[in-house]
Amino acid sequence: MSEPSWGLWGSWEETESLLDKQVGQSTGPDPVERGSIRRWLEPKEFACDIHTDAEAALAAGYEDIVAPVSMVFTYGMAAYWQPGDKPASIEDEPTQIQIPVIFDVPAPCDKSFATSIEVEFFEPLYPGDVVTCTSKLVDIKRKELKVGEGAFLRQEDTFTKQTGEVVAVSYLDIFRFVATTAEHQS
Amino acid sequence: MSATQCRSIAEVAVGDELPTIEIPVTLQRLVMEAGANRDFSLMHHDGGVARATGAPDAFANTYFLMGMFERLMREWAGPYARIRKIGPLRMLIFNAVGDTLSIKGVVESLDEGAGTVGVSMWVDSDRGQTVTSKALLELAR
Repeated sequence: MSEPSWGLWGSWEETESLLDKQVGQSTGPDPVERGSIRRWLEPKEFACDIHTDAEAALAAGYEDIVAPVSMVFTYGMAAYWQPGDKPASIEDEPTQIQIPVIFDVPAPCDKSFATSIEVEFFEPLYPGDVVTCTSKLVDIKRKELKVGEGAFLRQEDTFTKQTGEVVAVSYLDIFRFVATTAEHQS
Repeated sequence: MSATQCRSIAEVAVGDELPTIEIPVTLQRLVMEAGANRDFSLMHHDGGVARATGAPDAFANTYFLMGMFERLMREWAGPYARIRKIGPLRMLIFNAVGDTLSIKGVVESLDEGAGTVGVSMWVDSDRGQTVTSKALLELAR
């Protein structure tokens, strides 16, 4: 392929060989702490003192200040850069965000988009917790849409803390495809 | 919001509306958001890259919108509520720099035995309905 692709290229047989298998794992480089919580709340103008005040959090039944549930994704991401890494540009393989079913699962597709995400939350995240995200490919549904031919791939992410307790389980649906060419459009 | 404010399941009825949040999307907000949630996909903070991919400008990422839904629920339900599930969350249209988003929600179902409430949420802007999501909360008894 002469142009940068949006995902790892391969055959459908290679895609199907990874069904129900682990396709990625990352551990957040930083534990949960109040500074990162505050910076996450700030651009959303989100003011709730269980996230900033231990006394308020205890009164609400928590053990300490608690991270917003949606922050689990952030705490489970690996670091982006190592010293010496070059900055990202539009020409690069777009791996700025970790989505293993796009970037690590081969498929005969060069484009993709996310269609939906759902997440169930279990144990709260407290300062000091470290989150690991383990990703599995749990479904493949071949489909032809108006944009092109490809498949819906479902990624299950299980977020655990250092104790082994499950913090959240999410399901991300991605459509990977090759664009329909003009001569194929009806 | 203080820890003493808290909505109980007995106070809720199907059809109740969650108070709408209005929030403008600015590049400064998107940059702060990317730094905080660590989704550094270029289209979420670089207008040139976003426009090259067909978007009107840099646009909000999924984590920001999920976080805004969390804020909507938290401000309505109070600190004692537990958010059990968000989704399926679907991105329909870009939420780009210059847009003002209205984050809205309504109570869709109620299970007094379990103490849970199902809500339906969405985002409106001048572009139309841009995001939809469901969620499940456990409220104080």
